[in-house]
Amino acid sequence: MGCLWRLGVAICRPMDAETDLAPLLSAVAGGDRTALRAIYERQATRLFGVANAILRDRDAAADAMQDAFLRIAGRAGQFDPERGTPEAWLAAIVRYAALDLARSRGREIPTDDPALGDQPVPAEALDRVESSAEGRRLRQCLATLEERNRRGIVLAFVHGLSHAQIAARLELPLGTVKAWIRRGLLRLRECLA
Amino acid sequence: MNLASLTPEERDALAAEYVLGTLEAREARAVAAALPGDAALAEAVAMWEARLAPLTMLAPPEAPPPGLWDRIAAALDPKPVVKPKSWLAGLLDPWRIGAIGGTAVAATLAAFILLRPEPAPRMMTVLLTDRDQPAWLVEADQGGLRLASLNPRPAPEGRALQLWALPQGATAPTSLGLIPAEGRISVAPQVIQPSPGMLIEITVEPPGGSPTGRPTGPILFIGRLAPATGS
Repeated sequence: MGCLWRLGVAICRPMDAETDLAPLLSAVAGGDRTALRAIYERQATRLFGVANAILRDRDAAADAMQDAFLRIAGRAGQFDPERGTPEAWLAAIVRYAALDLARSRGREIPTDDPALGDQPVPAEALDRVESSAEGRRLRQCLATLEERNRRGIVLAFVHGLSHAQIAARLELPLGTVKAWIRRGLLRLRECLA
Repeated sequence: MNLASLTPEERDALAAEYVLGTLEAREARAVAAALPGDAALAEAVAMWEARLAPLTMLAPPEAPPPGLWDRIAAALDPKPVVKPKSWLAGLLDPWRIGAIGGTAVAATLAAFILLRPEPAPRMMTVLLTDRDQPAWLVEADQGGLRLASLNPRPAPEGRALQLWALPQGATAPTSLGLIPAEGRISVAPQVIQPSPGMLIEITVEPPGGSPTGRPTGPILFIGRLAPATGS
């Protein structure tokens, strides 16, 4: 059990939380509903945060979570531990569900929230990113990109902004943003190789 | 978009933008539809998912609305259409009871026993003092949560003791109220649905309770609800 105390809020979780998810996913693939519920109970807060960062609307994020868990129930057998962690697999499904919902709404999601991308990323969020070796490497590689390039990638990945929304936000022509993000992704791939 | 004619570089860039989320709806649908039959594209998408996955940690965790799991469970299992009425009516028809005989009654009883919900699990924890002396007993089940003092001691002068619960996976504890002087408190299931693994803690707060809705003072006692086996 690892516990962290901060301002009286206990952040505790068993050390085996990660390793437990893979067998739970196998059980879900076999039709075990209680295993799906166990995954929900362990991951819902993190995953709802992922959906809500994209949709910025709790009702819509709940719809995306429902959609995502139906997909998880149907596709758990496709989880391949060789390709990544269960957390990453679950988060990817939630992101796609949230992005699909954002697209179906014409991405008519307010992006004028001043908290979006302009403010420095909170230290605890960076701590979470750097909690894995992959996260530390990704952060180092992101640091080698130009500022606007980096922000474009984070706005798209974390907040689900389209090319056009990022262009409006960074006050750059659409074509420029597309080319920059593509270049940034190529640089990231080289850096992470 | 003809995905089959893409060069490896174009395919990788498309996979990257699919994972990043910047593709328009039509393009994203085309990629999603091509994935099961295009191993190279699926591999490229998986690689990009692995590369960018740590960024999901930037999203602040947030507790979902209560009841979301029930919604998901209902969507997974659309309720089968049952017609117990006719079956029941037949069974209760006094002219038929004799004909059905004891077997049916026994079967009904068996069904009743099998279908009866399992008794809700009881959970307990004992909150210890810093010298490992039992101080509080917490007992919980689906009917709520009860706290009793084992070793009564008043709150520090001019302060209040507040009880909190932190369900597993939640980022912020829920206040269960101030602990009265007699050291007993009963919390309705509407306030908190006790679950195994839930943390229970008692903090020192200003009179009237935490002004922020979150613990502000030191934690005096802490424990984790565990199923009470054999109960």
